[in-house]
Amino acid sequence: MITDQSGPRDATVPRAGSLPPGPSWASAIGRTLRGRTLRARRTRTGMLLISPAFALVAVFVLFPLGFAIYISLTDWPLIGPYHFIGGSNYTELIHDPVFIHSVLFTLLYTAIVTGPILVLGYAMAVFVRANRRGSVVFRTAFFLPFIVGLATESFMLLLELQPDSGAIDAVLGKLGLASASTAWTVHYGLALGAICVFVVWFASGLTMMILMGGMQGVPADLYEAADVDGATWWQKERRITIPMLRRNIALSLIISVIGSFLAFNQFFILTQGGPGTSTEPIVMWIYQEAFIAYHLGYATAGAIALVVVVGIVSAAQFYLLRDDNTTAKSRLGRRR
Amino acid sequence: MTAAGRALPIPAARAGRQQAGGRRPAGLAVYLIVGTVASILFVLPLAWAVFRSLLPDALVTSAPARADLSHLTFGNYSGLISGGDILHYAGNSLLVAAMTAVATAVVATMAGYGFARFRFRGSGIVFAMVLATLMVPFQALLTPLFLEMHTLHLTNSLIGLALFYTTFNLPFGVFVMRNTFLQVPWELSEQAAVDGASATRTLISVLRPLVVPGIATTVLYAFLFSWTEFVGALTFLTSNDLFTLPLALLNMEYGSVGQVNFGYLEAGAVIAMIPCVILYIALQRYYIRGLTSGVVKG
Repeated sequence: MITDQSGPRDATVPRAGSLPPGPSWASAIGRTLRGRTLRARRTRTGMLLISPAFALVAVFVLFPLGFAIYISLTDWPLIGPYHFIGGSNYTELIHDPVFIHSVLFTLLYTAIVTGPILVLGYAMAVFVRANRRGSVVFRTAFFLPFIVGLATESFMLLLELQPDSGAIDAVLGKLGLASASTAWTVHYGLALGAICVFVVWFASGLTMMILMGGMQGVPADLYEAADVDGATWWQKERRITIPMLRRNIALSLIISVIGSFLAFNQFFILTQGGPGTSTEPIVMWIYQEAFIAYHLGYATAGAIALVVVVGIVSAAQFYLLRDDNTTAKSRLGRRR
Repeated sequence: MTAAGRALPIPAARAGRQQAGGRRPAGLAVYLIVGTVASILFVLPLAWAVFRSLLPDALVTSAPARADLSHLTFGNYSGLISGGDILHYAGNSLLVAAMTAVATAVVATMAGYGFARFRFRGSGIVFAMVLATLMVPFQALLTPLFLEMHTLHLTNSLIGLALFYTTFNLPFGVFVMRNTFLQVPWELSEQAAVDGASATRTLISVLRPLVVPGIATTVLYAFLFSWTEFVGALTFLTSNDLFTLPLALLNMEYGSVGQVNFGYLEAGAVIAMIPCVILYIALQRYYIRGLTSGVVKG
């Protein structure tokens, strides 16, 4: 499991506050007194060390989060006074066809890309997990699209999706699969299809990396025992690898689902949500509503809905990492 | 692929398995061929963009043809550099990414050290709070963040943007740094304490060599995240002068009157891509360390 690979968390390491055992009761008392001032000093140092991180999280996460709830209950415009209007932004939201469409569109997009990303990522992880000749190069190549980033690649893809001059039309036209003047970004189905293929290409490398880390942690003797029993490749994969990798698979799924829920760059750059608002995911709806239409209160109500959904999905991630957290807690229990 | 492909970097184990299973050279050839074809599928689009960016203007906007190979030119790049302020925007991106990387490294190293070594009442809650930031998508906090940062004069400011990026890189960085410090043998810092070194001194002189890989991981992630981050920059920067690379590219897509200059756009995208590729290939092992730490944001 990936979190367990971070190294031995041996419980036997000596505590930093303890001193070598003294020979007599006198030194034992001295030790207690010294230990108390030492502890106070360590508490102060510890607080100082974590305070910048705490301050940033308070200013840029906790406060905005609370503020967002407040804004969502008002009719906040960009400039000018605002009024407290209770939950009416939320009731309006439920009846707003554009918002509902953006939610459904995001879910559809997530449903389309999640499966292929996992399957392709898994296959790639199987392919590169061994330390054989070429595997490191292949690993790098498969992961490169993720490193370069969606925004940069969306700008590159923009040209290739143009009718007549794009490479996609040129290739598909030669193969007789599409007209050489297909305008990909202005048709709902074509745009969605092209962006889904693009995102699978972009994101499956990340899934590969997460799964590969888990695969390399599976004890080799399990496979050797299965070999002795004459297991086929698929039997070993199904009976050993997948069960052992349950946590990694779940983690990669959660990461990819959250990533899809928060999709923005590729749609904003390639289709601008069009035609109409047909390819507008939730984050883009929030952005448009807030910074183009200046309905900050209303936009924030939609954003709160997104926070809740993403919070629930990532709570699952915490649940999966709980082994690690309980380790941390049990260590915290033994305070100096 | 057979069980012989299992990762075990111990030469003896490898040799043993090869003896037992025997890997035919034909198997390796198939592996290399399949791998190369698959790699081309992933790398070709990026290489293609480089090729496109080297075409003269008239050819960029026509269907690609084989004959184009003889017309390669740096015209788009020189045009972009002399007329489009691309270096200025790249400089903005670099500045923001560098500030974010440094700030994340400093803050996360301090916090990681504090959480790993100085347990006190409440430190567990603060750690959980920092980690819980992972659950909050900044994309959904754009409105309150904009209003707050506007009041604090942090919108339209590269420093403000860098602080925002730093915060959302913290959970990962703090997690990695805390794990790094947990793995360092405690005896070392104890010995330093016995010798009379202060906590800061211990951190700097004794723990540094053991902690640098963790810092490298944190820096790399923070840099790659902020180099071409899009939606945050789009929201918090409105003055043309402060635009980072992706906003400059967006300007080329929409801002220009009339036709989009695709040659410039491609060249600009390639300029945005190159540092990522170089950094990743050079520092790959640190990147992979981060992936196996268990906290990744997609």
